[in-house]
Amino acid sequence: MPRLLAFILFVQALLFGGAVHARDNYLELVVTRPYLEMHTGPGRGYPVFYVIGRGESVTVLYSRTDWYRVRAPRGQEGWVRRNDLAATELESGEPAPIPPYPDFSAHRWEIGAGYGVYNRENLVTSYLDYGLTDSLDVEMVLQQAFGTLDNRTIETIGLRNTIVPEWKWFSPTVGIGMGHQSVSDKVPPAPLESSNELAYAGLGARGFITRRFMWRFDWRAYVVFNQLNKSEVLEEWKFGLAVFF
Amino acid sequence: MEIRLSSVFLAALLLSGCGWFHRGDKGPTPIPAEEPQAEPSIIDPQVTRRVVKTPRIKAKDFELGAYFGALSIEDFGTNPIYGLRAAYHVTEDIFLEGFLARSKAGLSSLEETFPDISVVSNSGRQFTYYDLDVGYNVLPGEIFLGRGRAFNSQLYVTLGMGDVKFADKDQFALNFGLGERLLVTDWLAVHLDVRDHVFESDLFGVTKNVHNVEATLGLTVFY
Repeated sequence: MPRLLAFILFVQALLFGGAVHARDNYLELVVTRPYLEMHTGPGRGYPVFYVIGRGESVTVLYSRTDWYRVRAPRGQEGWVRRNDLAATELESGEPAPIPPYPDFSAHRWEIGAGYGVYNRENLVTSYLDYGLTDSLDVEMVLQQAFGTLDNRTIETIGLRNTIVPEWKWFSPTVGIGMGHQSVSDKVPPAPLESSNELAYAGLGARGFITRRFMWRFDWRAYVVFNQLNKSEVLEEWKFGLAVFF
Repeated sequence: MEIRLSSVFLAALLLSGCGWFHRGDKGPTPIPAEEPQAEPSIIDPQVTRRVVKTPRIKAKDFELGAYFGALSIEDFGTNPIYGLRAAYHVTEDIFLEGFLARSKAGLSSLEETFPDISVVSNSGRQFTYYDLDVGYNVLPGEIFLGRGRAFNSQLYVTLGMGDVKFADKDQFALNFGLGERLLVTDWLAVHLDVRDHVFESDLFGVTKNVHNVEATLGLTVFY
């Protein structure tokens, strides 16, 4: 029994300590407009259940998409729209440090996935992309193609140039790179070679959708280096959705 | 003898040289810089610039969890399934989600009727899949429990594709689903999902699209 009590006390101390510690790290903002509306949920349809008046302070706990979970001076917790919170100020009078969305034309990281057709096979593709400059990116692609005779796993690394990065909704891209494919047979006979090196050149386009969301379209021609007499040229196209940071 | 003598001279020369160089290192004695004759200020400001570090707002856009339920594998009965899911919420409406799950198929009716026949090997009965989905919160709202309790909830639809490995073969599979996310607290959610995985199968001789519907219950954490 004393052990249990000690355990409970220990857990409570941990929780309380954590809470106290965490409270120190939250952002405190002052409402400068006539009022700040608190919604019951992080969505446009959730009703307003509480209003924080001008001059009162508000504690920002965390964010989810475009919404911020806040605590009112009297302890009520609810969700505030991003634009409303951005209109508040720090105690010092500076504007609230609500981070802006990354600029699409100058973002650094992209991670995405999509559907495509590789050598007339269904393709599931995923990629990670890092922008060296606004127009030149390094992209790593991992994808799986499902055919009637064989399945293939393809990994590539390459460079991609966005021709006009300032064009937001539609901007063409060109790319080159190299990679590797491994082939596993589905139906006998087994493929002549189970793995090959390959190189590609491609054309594509990208565009902004909303917030951190974007689309990609790519067409690629692959040259497969094999030991056979004839070099193999494969074609691929794919469409994907991605998130950028 | 001569060599020894010359070496002694050389050593002496080297040593003296070193000494000379060291002396050179000291350099000239510095002349003290003249103090600027500033007017004595009346107030000496002792104020150090206050560095205000504003805390960062943590974004909790990721959702991670596990689920279990029943998967009906076409021709192979209904079996338990368990899996992992991870989602990233892009906007309040759209999210991207990935699934990884595993189940094990039972016997087909053919195999039950004729016990000697085996359509799928024992290892091939493992049914595993991964999915990459896009989801849309169609009907966000609140669910009321009695008079005093309301839980936020979202009814969502998902569409995606992935790989189903069944009968020792990887198959391209499309999936579409309908789910309900009920937020017990603002960071803990209960999910109820129904999803159909469709892929082409020729296990019974004819190539056809097979539908594998799963109904699952899941628990996720936002972080």
